Amino acid sequence: MTSTLTPSAETPTPTPRPAPAKQRPEFRRKLSRFDVKYSPYFYVAPFFVLFGLVGLFPLVYTFVVSLNDWNLLTGPGEWVGLENFTTELSSPLFWNSLFNTFSIFLLSAVPQLIAAVIIAAVLDQNLRAKTFWRLSVILPYIVTPVAVTLIFSNIFGEKYGLVNNMLDVIGLDPVMWKTETLPSHIAIATMVNWRWTGYNALILLAAMQAVPRDVHESAALDGAGAARRFFSITIPSIRPTLIFVIITATIGGLQIFTEPKLFNATSSIPGGPQRQYQTTVLYLWDLAFNRQEFGRASAVAWILFLIIVAFGLLNFWLSRRIASSEARSIKKRSSKRLARYRTQREAEIDTLVAVPGAFAPGETPIPLERDDDPDDRPGTTDKEGAR
Amino acid sequence: MKLSRRTRVAAAVAGAASIALLATACSTGGGEEGSSDEPITLTVTTFGTQGLDDLYAQYEADNPNITIKATNIDTGGNALTDWQTKQAAGAGLPDVQAVEEGWLSKVMQVSDSFTDLSEYGAEDTADQWVDWKVKQATDADGRIIGYGTDIGPEGLCFNGALFEAAGLPSDREGVAALFGGEDATWEKFFEVGKEYTDKTGKAFYDQSGFVWNSMVNQLPEGYYTADGELNVEGNKELEARWALLAEGAANGLSSAQTQWDWGGGKAFTDGSFATFVCPGWMLGVVKGQVEAGGGDASTGWDFADVFPGGAANWGGAFLTVPTTSKHPAEAADLAAFLTNAQSQVASFQAAGAFPSNIEAQSDAGVTGESDLTAFFNDAPIGEILAARAEGVVAQYKGPDDSVIQEQVFGPSVQELDSGKADGPTAWQHAIDLLNELVSE
Repeated sequence: MTSTLTPSAETPTPTPRPAPAKQRPEFRRKLSRFDVKYSPYFYVAPFFVLFGLVGLFPLVYTFVVSLNDWNLLTGPGEWVGLENFTTELSSPLFWNSLFNTFSIFLLSAVPQLIAAVIIAAVLDQNLRAKTFWRLSVILPYIVTPVAVTLIFSNIFGEKYGLVNNMLDVIGLDPVMWKTETLPSHIAIATMVNWRWTGYNALILLAAMQAVPRDVHESAALDGAGAARRFFSITIPSIRPTLIFVIITATIGGLQIFTEPKLFNATSSIPGGPQRQYQTTVLYLWDLAFNRQEFGRASAVAWILFLIIVAFGLLNFWLSRRIASSEARSIKKRSSKRLARYRTQREAEIDTLVAVPGAFAPGETPIPLERDDDPDDRPGTTDKEGAR
Repeated sequence: MKLSRRTRVAAAVAGAASIALLATACSTGGGEEGSSDEPITLTVTTFGTQGLDDLYAQYEADNPNITIKATNIDTGGNALTDWQTKQAAGAGLPDVQAVEEGWLSKVMQVSDSFTDLSEYGAEDTADQWVDWKVKQATDADGRIIGYGTDIGPEGLCFNGALFEAAGLPSDREGVAALFGGEDATWEKFFEVGKEYTDKTGKAFYDQSGFVWNSMVNQLPEGYYTADGELNVEGNKELEARWALLAEGAANGLSSAQTQWDWGGGKAFTDGSFATFVCPGWMLGVVKGQVEAGGGDASTGWDFADVFPGGAANWGGAFLTVPTTSKHPAEAADLAAFLTNAQSQVASFQAAGAFPSNIEAQSDAGVTGESDLTAFFNDAPIGEILAARAEGVVAQYKGPDDSVIQEQVFGPSVQELDSGKADGPTAWQHAIDLLNELVSE
């Protein structure tokens, strides 16, 4: 009975109905198949359309611009191929900017991440007024970079700045924060640190709180001190988050612009009178908008993009290595445990077999014997682990 | 089925788009007809303090069909970025665009994208401005692309109290005579400076950058020859002036201040330096800096009718009409109104921008007393500036002029001030940078 109801559409029943009646369900089915197959793409399409418009297109267009002798005002000039890239790669000013970028990046990222980990560890303790402390840590992040830079630019003023005044009080020579390379890098790194340390600390704090408390407790019971627990439990557990924080800090650090731009806003050259702290993005901006070299600026943008991609790949490789090394150590641990368990079982079985009649001869002893093969066992467990 | 459905949607979208296109086409078509009674909105972009706001209202009252939408950008530098971006994009430019003398060389590269104001009577009214102002706004093809607003004739600001303490004449006439009056030279300036510094142990001027700019800008030919050839390497005149500057810095005449910062104005009040190069508009800056630094008129600043090396101009602006304007005639008329004698007097009173209009320069509103004259020890600022505007030459500015001034010589000037390099070394660094930065 039921079978006669359902196949009405597919089986060629000799009904006198004309074609359209048959086509409609056909179309509906097609539509529903279309729906299942393709509508997911439509749901995700807005992102890709937007990405294409504001991400991919500018990227490609920038590359096209970089192949031309493009003047900001008079527009596209001659097609020069990769000449803009070779010019930039042989320009001392470009390398200077790259050096400044990495110097400021290292001076900011390293102390910042160390401080962030320590602050996060402190906040992870049982503190009174937890929310207050956490909020205070994130406060600098709320301040706009422009305001931060204006204030710090004043503090690091060479003749009338707070820092030099205080150095003067304790009888030290003033430091030329705005005209010497290392001091200016330190000053700019200070601004970056001030703004980002708390932000990173909060992310790391979240990761630390996800570490199971009982692990800490059992370690404490086993006699591990606070420092030992920090280095052997906390740090390894937050490693993926640390990698994330390092990578975001790297991308941000390589694109640093506002701080060096406004640190000495009145300087006729962006990034210090001798380009002491002209970072790559600042150099790019200078090329495009002060020197009207739009083509070369685009080439710099692309080189910077490739550098950041390289860092992204390095991150990918690093985090995979860390993940696989973790998996490997887990594997090792579990296979050891398994081996111990099996020898124990064997011993039990041996004792059972020793008692005649107590154990029915079946298949079980055979795989155990096979598993016992010392060459075979690690191989199989490894394969299982790999799966 | 599926296909036809899709095409129908596509057709609908295309239809809507074409209607929209039609609509815009209609609206642009309608605008071009532009009879004088039709309501028109004119957009104006200015920067800094040009003191035009009241004039807009007046113009709107006189021309009821016109509405002015004005945008004022805080600094000339930001206005440059704004203009450059819009110029490069080819869209978004206003009907009337203010252009600063400092970036006129960039504007001249694309002078054909500005309306030739001669078509709207600029040639007939050209004699109302100082002649070099009109020359500055004339491009290589002889088209006048801007109406002059203010100018920046340079005089010398000096601190009377500090001069007196150093045993130098401290009244305006005495100081003018000290530097050589009409025949004031840079040699004399540095000589007086050395005397002052030797006596007091203090610096004479704030930093070398402004001095160098003045030294270059007052020459008949600066970084470029009049024919547009780059003229820095082997330019004896520039080298001689550079040597003077280097010697001055080596003798401690420069206070090595950060320009445009001056320690938040403190340097103007604590006696760090005693002279300052002052284009007209800089007087307001000096007053502002002194007040920010906690000083007032009693700090002793004064303004002398003298400038080393002869007449010099720094800054000033023009009002231009980009060719993208849909109402060039009305825009040109507005620009002409905003730059006529009465308007320039009004904007001088509102913002201290010294008029480029000759009639306005002698107007009582300009020569009379004001807050500014009171601050500068009752100096007749209007009269002095009018005198300082005489004999200025419109130097040819090449396309990379501002790059050379800021990026090529900026670092070397700073090297002189910080004592990191002597004159010849710093000059050589500038030449190296020139070859690196400026192609050909």
